Amino acid sequence: MSDTAQSKTIGGIVKGNLWTNNPIFMQVLGICSALAVTNLLTNTVIMSAGVIFTMGMTNFTVSLLKSLMPRKVRMMVQTLIIAFYVIIVDLVLKAYLPSISENLGPYVGLIITNCIIMGRAEAFAQSNGPLLSMWDGVTSAAGYMGVLLTIALFRELLGFGALFGFQVMPEGFVPWIIMVMPPSAFFLIGIIIWIGKSIMMRQGELAS
Amino acid sequence: MNKQSTIYSMIFMFIVAFAFVFLLSLTNQATAERVDLNQEVARKSAILSALGVEAESDEEVLERFEDVEQLERDGTTIFETTVDGETVFGKEFAGSGLWGTIEGVLGVNGDISRTVGLEIIDHNETPGLGGRITEGWFKEQFEGERIAEDGITFTSGDGDTDYDNAEVDGITGATRTTESMERIINGEFEKLQSLVGGNA
Repeated sequence: MSDTAQSKTIGGIVKGNLWTNNPIFMQVLGICSALAVTNLLTNTVIMSAGVIFTMGMTNFTVSLLKSLMPRKVRMMVQTLIIAFYVIIVDLVLKAYLPSISENLGPYVGLIITNCIIMGRAEAFAQSNGPLLSMWDGVTSAAGYMGVLLTIALFRELLGFGALFGFQVMPEGFVPWIIMVMPPSAFFLIGIIIWIGKSIMMRQGELAS
Repeated sequence: MNKQSTIYSMIFMFIVAFAFVFLLSLTNQATAERVDLNQEVARKSAILSALGVEAESDEEVLERFEDVEQLERDGTTIFETTVDGETVFGKEFAGSGLWGTIEGVLGVNGDISRTVGLEIIDHNETPGLGGRITEGWFKEQFEGERIAEDGITFTSGDGDTDYDNAEVDGITGATRTTESMERIINGEFEKLQSLVGGNA
């Protein structure tokens, strides 16, 4: 990964996290949740919002504590911090948005195991300032959200004939059952990676 | 102090863990009451919906639930209320689905000849497949379906809008969940029959 001066600026971080270094289609991280929560757009939006909050705050906190943190326990501390924010998200959803919390079920708790969060904490927050790290976390999660929303858009549209729960396909539309099931997300992610990389190659942004 | 020493690491871990867990328990305390209330409202709202009583807001749910009588029969709670002059019974159920336990409430009329409503409280079925038991179209099939001698049959194929044939549509692509629901629901009819049948 290129750790050039350009990638540490606010704009550079956005471009990297949303596109050239996108967590899903370039780093291929966080795939399990991309399969699990993308069959309905509403669930995807709430789940991604949870990830944005967790990632921004985790990166911020890790960066604040980095000078105090002994190297050998840093992974434990990062996991602890991630778990802390995820449980907060879970509690807030349970208290204020019970129906959505019901829908997402165990997946909110599973944000803890989302490798993107720990990846960014380790790769970015450990060596950068708190605010820049928070920005990196938020934009990285936004990159994740972008890909998940694209997948969910196709899965809900073709699997249910709906968008955000509103029926948009005509009466006689036959739903594609496969789109509702996790395997379809594999195909869609594959297609997205293919398209993304092809565009990058054309632009010459892939050095390898 | 040497930051890489074992002692420092232990003290650091201890303080960090303590601080974060302490904050978490505070948050938990702060939201516990609301979470409990939500669960209570969700349960009561499910019971009301299965009994065919309409209630929109949280307050309305709690208020309407006051009118529901709770009968104890053989250690089972049966909910009884009157809707439009007709007695209806409701019973909470739990049975195994494909992945886990399916919990819900089933409502039937006074002589257990028709269903009044079905509500799912908790399940672990596949989202989008078996999980569709929580969707309106599936539950609406139980608003007034006739219960035959051998209960209600879950069929495949689509568009069963006849409420008198004791048949409802299963879920395409979720055969095992459909079978489980069929078994659970028909089991509940028998239980209701033995608990409240004949003395409505």
